[in-house]
Amino acid sequence: MAYAYLFKYIIIGDTGVGKSCLLLQFTDKRFQPVHDLTIGVEFGARMITIDGKQIKLQIWDTAGQESFRSITRSYYRGAAGALLVYDITRRDTFNHLTTWLEDARQHSNSNMVIMLIANKSDLESRREVKKEEGEAFAREHGLVFMETSAKTASNVEEAFINTAKEIYEKIQEGVFDINNETPIPWIPSELQWRPVTARSSDLRQLQTGDSCEANGIKIGPQHSTPGSPGSHLGGQQAGGGCC
Amino acid sequence: MLTRVKSAVANLMGGIMAGSSGTDQAGGADLPLRFPYVRPEFLGLSQDEIECSADHIARPILILKETKRLPWTTGYAEVINAGKSTHNEDQASCEVMFVKKKSGVQSTPSKTSTTKRRSSLPNGEGLQLKDNTEVDGITFQYWALFDGHAGAGAAVVASKLLHHHIIEQLQDIVDILKNSAVLPPTCLGEDPETVSTNSRTLTRAASLRGAAGAPGSPSTPQTRFFTEKKIPHECLVTGALENAFKEMDLQIQRERSTYNISGGCTALIVIYLLGKLYVSNAGDSRAIIIRNGEIIPMSSEFTPETERQRLQYLAFLQPHLLGNEFTHLEFPRRVQRKELGKMMLYRDFNMTGWAYKTIEDQDLKFPLIYGEGKKARVMATIGVTRGLGDHDLKVHDSNIYIKPFLSSIPEVRVYDMMQYEHSADDVLVLATDGLWDVLLNQEVSEAVINFLSNCDPDDPHRYTLAAQDLVMRARGVLKDRGWRISSDRLGSGDDISVYVIPLAHCNRLS
Repeated sequence: MAYAYLFKYIIIGDTGVGKSCLLLQFTDKRFQPVHDLTIGVEFGARMITIDGKQIKLQIWDTAGQESFRSITRSYYRGAAGALLVYDITRRDTFNHLTTWLEDARQHSNSNMVIMLIANKSDLESRREVKKEEGEAFAREHGLVFMETSAKTASNVEEAFINTAKEIYEKIQEGVFDINNETPIPWIPSELQWRPVTARSSDLRQLQTGDSCEANGIKIGPQHSTPGSPGSHLGGQQAGGGCC
Repeated sequence: MLTRVKSAVANLMGGIMAGSSGTDQAGGADLPLRFPYVRPEFLGLSQDEIECSADHIARPILILKETKRLPWTTGYAEVINAGKSTHNEDQASCEVMFVKKKSGVQSTPSKTSTTKRRSSLPNGEGLQLKDNTEVDGITFQYWALFDGHAGAGAAVVASKLLHHHIIEQLQDIVDILKNSAVLPPTCLGEDPETVSTNSRTLTRAASLRGAAGAPGSPSTPQTRFFTEKKIPHECLVTGALENAFKEMDLQIQRERSTYNISGGCTALIVIYLLGKLYVSNAGDSRAIIIRNGEIIPMSSEFTPETERQRLQYLAFLQPHLLGNEFTHLEFPRRVQRKELGKMMLYRDFNMTGWAYKTIEDQDLKFPLIYGEGKKARVMATIGVTRGLGDHDLKVHDSNIYIKPFLSSIPEVRVYDMMQYEHSADDVLVLATDGLWDVLLNQEVSEAVINFLSNCDPDDPHRYTLAAQDLVMRARGVLKDRGWRISSDRLGSGDDISVYVIPLAHCNRLS
């Protein structure tokens, strides 16, 4: 499937707030009341349309447990959007937002769009965190805010799509410089299994492939910018580059 | 069905083409893939998930989600490289297999039967029976890791087919292996004199009598006319594994005229059969057992450095393989023209030490083996000297093939599981060089011991989480100056794949 852009998202927040359920509702339009604890990372993908353009969302669903935190941190890199989720029925998940936000800000691209998600809005009777509190937190930290229910699907589409709209607008405004290519970090030459010129005493240094992934956006084949990198989907075998 | 027709046609075409020209279109990029690129089947990833995982910047660690998918609650984790290749070129497969004696099996494999069996191989039809009737067969567990280079093709093919070759080899000896009380007969089809094994010598003597055609009663010891080697059962399994590797390599060689099977791969495989672990290694992956805090190495690596003498000897015997471009001698550094006539340190195939020789013209050629440690290369090309595939690999910008120097023969080590009562924290760790390049055995062992002892013994994910922990320790964290691990050492930018296999499982079985 051709797309104009590919955005990488990451879903973060305490364990049990419904991150995996939000993803499942968004990608599969179903709710699974009992969900295994996410260990490591899981992925989802869906195509959406914004401004008449096909956009592929690639969503990374992370483990909320403290013990996985150091691993999760490494996944922020390259994300264009983040859904920071808490559970309105558990105040501690709201209290931990600051820590999550610090983590996100420290390890991600500074332009990453962060959406604050107050999940489980269907459980009004057990609510511990007022909507106004969430709104205030979002305002204070410059986040977009939304109450959702992965169970009833309320606002789930909107949460993912509005985040994409925000990213899309940033691209239009030129905030995300999608042509600014960051080189892939240095790779030791011994990992190169063969040199370009045999019999030269030195071994090949990898031609440091240029990356357009660093800010979590890839330009797809639909896009006609001259010289834009090829699609990730369309042809996997882009030589030394990343996409 | 369609694929089968296609492949039949392709086979035909391949045959014609192979006959008509010897074009060395390396890799056969125009040909169809033998198998599409995938990640290990047991990870159960969709195409979308495979795409997400191929992120060279965030490098997500993929782990086994369904713990019941692999035997013995084996743990598994992997991560893609930091950008050296588009794909993760490591592959893995793991199966529980059942091998049954072939019906109508001939004791001496004839040419026709071999060919017939081969043609049924690709789909592995009828080989992987989920039969539990141990009466006429043997169930065994299989774990495999392949580390590809110069393309993912060979590693994918090996991950899909090597276990079928193992079954293929074991089929012929199922009955012999099951009959553990009697040593394997030296010659099949001779009087199967079933002596109820009082001692091994008696059995041997009996079989000798058979061979000598001198029947006699078991009570009267016979004169031995010649000595005969006693071949224990496990040596037959080792032989079967060695031949399976060879057959796998030959299959890749045959099929590369029909399919695009790119590159080559190392292979590290383990089978658990009749109470013993057989660890077979061709390449630079590694297996260690961590038992009660002790490290037991279960493999050794095959690299230009470890195999220097074999390679030099081959080049000495077959100098044409060097294409007049290389010298089989090793020097501590490149020899310069101005040094002609001087005495320089060198070593030949017969030496582990060094000596001086007068530099001659031919010593100016590029050394067959050059570079140190991970940078050592055979003919400036490849850093691993055993494995599968690489049939089209040539020295850059030349017509010199590398394959003659590479071997598909694994080293097989046997570990008797019954000799020891294993605890829940005793494990076998298998990993590709991505792990071992940056972590010492000792560090791996400490990490595993530490992780498992802090982990709920009933957590079904504990071995997978231990594998994830190892991958994380070897990958490290991306900082301004690349991937870094503990004490600011450089992390591995290579593909990393790790199995953590608990050994206690067998205690429960027996």
